Amino acid sequence: MIGEHDVLVVGAGCAGMRAAIAAFDAGADVAMISKLHPTRSHSGAAEGGINAALGNAAEDSPELHAYDTVKGSDYLGDQDAIELFTAEAPGDIIQLEHWGAFFTRREDGRLAQRPFGAAGSPRTVFAADITGHVLIQVLYEQVCKRDIKVYEEFFAWQIAVNDDRAQGVICWDLLNGGLKTVRGKTVVMATGGAGRQYRATTNAYACTGDGTAMALHAGLPLKDMEFMQFHPTTLFPSGILLTEGCRGEGAFLVNKDGERFMQRYAPNALELASRDVVSRSEQTEIDEGRGINGSVMLDMRHLGPDRIIERLPGSRELSMTFAGVDPIFEPVPVRPGAHYHMGGIETGNDGETELTGLYAAGECACVSVHGANRLGGNSLMETITFGRRSGTAAAEWALSHTTSDVPESLERDAERSLRELLDRESGERPWKIRDELGQSMLENFGVFRQEEKMLRQLEILADLRERYRSVYVEDKGQVFNSDLTQAIELGNMLDTALCMIEAGIWRKESRGAHARPHDYPTRDDANFMKHSITRWRGDGVELSTSPVRVTKYEPEERKY
Amino acid sequence: MQVALKIWRYDSSTGERALREYEFDAPEEATLLDCLDIVKERQDGTLAYRKSCRMMICGSCGMRMNGAAVLACKVRMYEIAQAGEVPVISAMGNLPIVKDLVVDMDSFWQKFKAMKPYLQPGYEEPEDGREYRISQERMNAVHKESLCVNCGCCVSECIAMESDPEFLGPQALAKGMRFVGDPRDAATVERLEEYSGEHGIWECTRCFFCNERCPKGVDPRDAIAKLGAEAIKEGIDRDMGAKHAKWFIRSTETTGWLRETELVPKTQGVVSSVKQMKFAMKLISHNKAGLAFPPHVAADVGEARALHKLVHEQGRLGFEGHVQGERALAKLAHGYKEGRDPYAPGSFPRPYLPEGEA
Repeated sequence: MIGEHDVLVVGAGCAGMRAAIAAFDAGADVAMISKLHPTRSHSGAAEGGINAALGNAAEDSPELHAYDTVKGSDYLGDQDAIELFTAEAPGDIIQLEHWGAFFTRREDGRLAQRPFGAAGSPRTVFAADITGHVLIQVLYEQVCKRDIKVYEEFFAWQIAVNDDRAQGVICWDLLNGGLKTVRGKTVVMATGGAGRQYRATTNAYACTGDGTAMALHAGLPLKDMEFMQFHPTTLFPSGILLTEGCRGEGAFLVNKDGERFMQRYAPNALELASRDVVSRSEQTEIDEGRGINGSVMLDMRHLGPDRIIERLPGSRELSMTFAGVDPIFEPVPVRPGAHYHMGGIETGNDGETELTGLYAAGECACVSVHGANRLGGNSLMETITFGRRSGTAAAEWALSHTTSDVPESLERDAERSLRELLDRESGERPWKIRDELGQSMLENFGVFRQEEKMLRQLEILADLRERYRSVYVEDKGQVFNSDLTQAIELGNMLDTALCMIEAGIWRKESRGAHARPHDYPTRDDANFMKHSITRWRGDGVELSTSPVRVTKYEPEERKY
Repeated sequence: MQVALKIWRYDSSTGERALREYEFDAPEEATLLDCLDIVKERQDGTLAYRKSCRMMICGSCGMRMNGAAVLACKVRMYEIAQAGEVPVISAMGNLPIVKDLVVDMDSFWQKFKAMKPYLQPGYEEPEDGREYRISQERMNAVHKESLCVNCGCCVSECIAMESDPEFLGPQALAKGMRFVGDPRDAATVERLEEYSGEHGIWECTRCFFCNERCPKGVDPRDAIAKLGAEAIKEGIDRDMGAKHAKWFIRSTETTGWLRETELVPKTQGVVSSVKQMKFAMKLISHNKAGLAFPPHVAADVGEARALHKLVHEQGRLGFEGHVQGERALAKLAHGYKEGRDPYAPGSFPRPYLPEGEA
C-alpha cells in the first residue's frame, strides 16, 4: 500500500480530471492514477468541439439539444440522463470559460458555435480544431491549482473489491516497477475508450479499454457493448482523425467521380448527417467500387486558403504530415475508422455502478447519453458534466464513510498472476495477436455486421484468447517496462471484444452504429428497444437486457 | 522500404550505455515512431520510449534524432531511408534519462507548476453569469502559447538550461505568457515580478533553438520576449537583463547607435563597472572600445526617434509591440502561396450534387 485517499480516480483525461476537481471541491482528499501524464490523455486529441445550447449563434435550447441527442441515439439513449445532460451543459461550458479555456470567439466577443452533424442548431463550442487540447490544458491547470495528487505512469490493473465494496486499485508502477496498491473509499473509473481493438482507428495507443475490462473482471455489468462508432473522416491509411469540424465548415464528401454521394443517402443534411449514416454511406460507396483505394475523398478546396488556415489548421497539418496532401489544393483520402465506444460500464446518472463505492464517467462508462450512436461534440460535454457529477457523488459517499481496506491476499493473488506472466520464458509475442484482433474486428465487426461474420469472429476470438494464455513478455526489467503493460492491455482488449460480439449477435436489428443490412435491415423497437447487458461468468460472457428510460420522446424514423 | 536506425540504449539500474543499430523493413508511410514500434515488437522488447496519440497532440514521444529534438510521430522516414541515412536516436537533453529514450520529466513539471499555471480570476467576472466578452483578436495574443503540448522539445535544446539547470526555461515561460497575455487574468504584475527573478525571463540567451525545434509553432523565445517587454512596461526592471534591454532603447533613441561604453555601467551598475576598469583599459588600448564624449550621433537619428515615438503613440508597449501570431500562422500556412489553381486541368474533378442543387 502506498497511498490512501477518500476518492481515487483512475484515468486523467477530461472525465477523470473533472471528477477529481469536483471531488476536491466537495472537500474530499482525492488522487488520480494514470498510465500517462494527465496532459497526454487522448481527450486532448478531440478536435471539433463540445456541445451546449448557449444559443450564441442561433436560437437554441436544452430541449432541442435533448431532442437531437435522443434522435441521434436511435432512441436507445436514456432520456432522463439526456435531459439532465443538456440542461447542465451550458453552465459547465461557462465555468470552463471562466477557468480560462481558450475558446474561439464571435465578433461580439462571446463564444463562437459551429454547426455539427445531426444538430438542429449550431451549438458546438470550439477552439479552432484543437478543442480537446484546450480542455485538457485548462483542466490540468485547475488540477495544479488544487495541487491534486497524481500517481503518474501507474498502470491500473485490478479493482480491489473487498467486503462488496470497491476499496482501491492494484497498479503496476511503470517508472520504478513493482505492484503498488492505492486505497480509496470510493473509486471513479475514467479510463476512456478501446478503439485499439480495430486496425483502423482514430484512438491513441493508450485506448485499450483497461477500466472497462477491470470492471468486467470485477463482475460488473457492461451496457450496449455492440455499439462502436465509426468516424466518417479518418485519414487513409493511418486512421488519424480529421474533425467533423471540416464538414461543419463546409467540406464535401465525394466519390472517385467527384459526386457528392451524400445527397443519395441523406438529401437534407448531406455531409452533416449523423456519423453512423455518413460512415455507412461511405462504406457503401467503397464496397460498390466508387471509392479510390479503399477510401472516399474529403474536398475542402472551395473553402479557400484563409478559412482552412484559420479554422482548420490542425486538420491541414495532419493531412500534410500523414497523407502527404495539402487540402487547399487537393482532396484528402478518408474512410470510416473506429472512433468512439458508446457502450461501457453501466452507471446511473451520478456515475454510480452496481458495486458500492465504484463510479464511472466518460467513454468507459455508459449512462447512456449516446445510445446507439453519439453525436459529434457530445462526448467532450459528457466527460465534463458526468465527470463532475460522479466526482461529487463519489466524494459525498466517501466523506460519510470512514475506512478503506485492501486485504493482503488480494495483493498476493495479483503478484502471483503477474509473476506467472513475467516468468514465462517463451511464447508468442503480443503484436501478432493484436494485429490479428485489429484486422478481424474491422472485417467482421465493422461498419456493417451480419450473423455469420460475427459467429466467425467469435471463433477467431476464442483462438486469440487461447494463444494469449501463453503470451510472452520479453522485457523482464522493472524500469519502464512497457512490454509488460502492452501485454496486459492486449488481454483487456480481447475480453471486452468478446462482450461486443456476443451483444452484437444478440441484437437482431439495425440501430445506430449496429447496422445489419443483409440480415436485419430495420430497427425493431418491439423487441430491441432495450439495452444489452454483458457480464463475465467463468471464462465467458453472460447476456441480459435492461429497459431504456423514456421520458417524452417517442421513437420515430430517423431521417436526415 | 529498408530502414536502419542507431539507438542510444541506456539502463539506469546498471548505468550501461550502448549505441545499437537496427535494420528492418517498414511501410513507406512509416514515421519514426512506427519504426521504433517495429524494433520493439520484432527485435527487442526491452526498448523503452513513450508514445500515445501518434498524431502530434499528446506530446509523449519527444526524443532526439541526430542530436535535434523531434516528436517521433511527426518524422516521416521515407526520405531519410531513401537517402540511405542511418539516423541516431537518443533521449532528450536537459532531463535525466530513466531508460533508453524515456526521460524523467519531474523537473519539467516542477517548473511548469512554479508558473502558477492557472487563470487567477479577475475582479470583473461578467455580471450576467455568462462568458467573458473578449475579441478573438485580443485572445490571439496568446494563441501560439496555447498550442503547447508540453513535449519538452524546447527544454531539451535550451542552452541556458545547460548552464543553469534551474532556469525556468522556454516551456514554463511560454505557459507564463499564456496567462500574462490573457485579459481575463488579474495577476499580471505578481506574475511578472515572479518570472523576473533569478532563473527567470532574463536568463534566456536568445539562441532561438526553442523556436526552431518546437513541433507545434509555439515559439517560446517570442513568448519570453513578450514577457520581458511586459515586465519593463510595468516598471519591473531590477534585473540586469531588463536594464540591458532598456539601455538599448535609450541609446538608440538618443543617438541612433548602441552606446556600448555606457552599456556596462547601465546594466551592471557603477560598482561592478569600476571593478572592470582594468579590462576596459585593455580594450581601449587595443582600439576595441572608445570613450567618445559627447557620444557620436547617427546622421539619420530622426528615423530611430520617429519609430520610438510611433510605438508610444500607438500604445504598442509590452507584448503588443511584438508581432502577434503571424509567425505561427506562417508556420501553419506551411509555405502556402497564392497563385496555384486547385481546379487546374489534371486536378481532382469539381464536386457536384447528383441531383443538382437541393
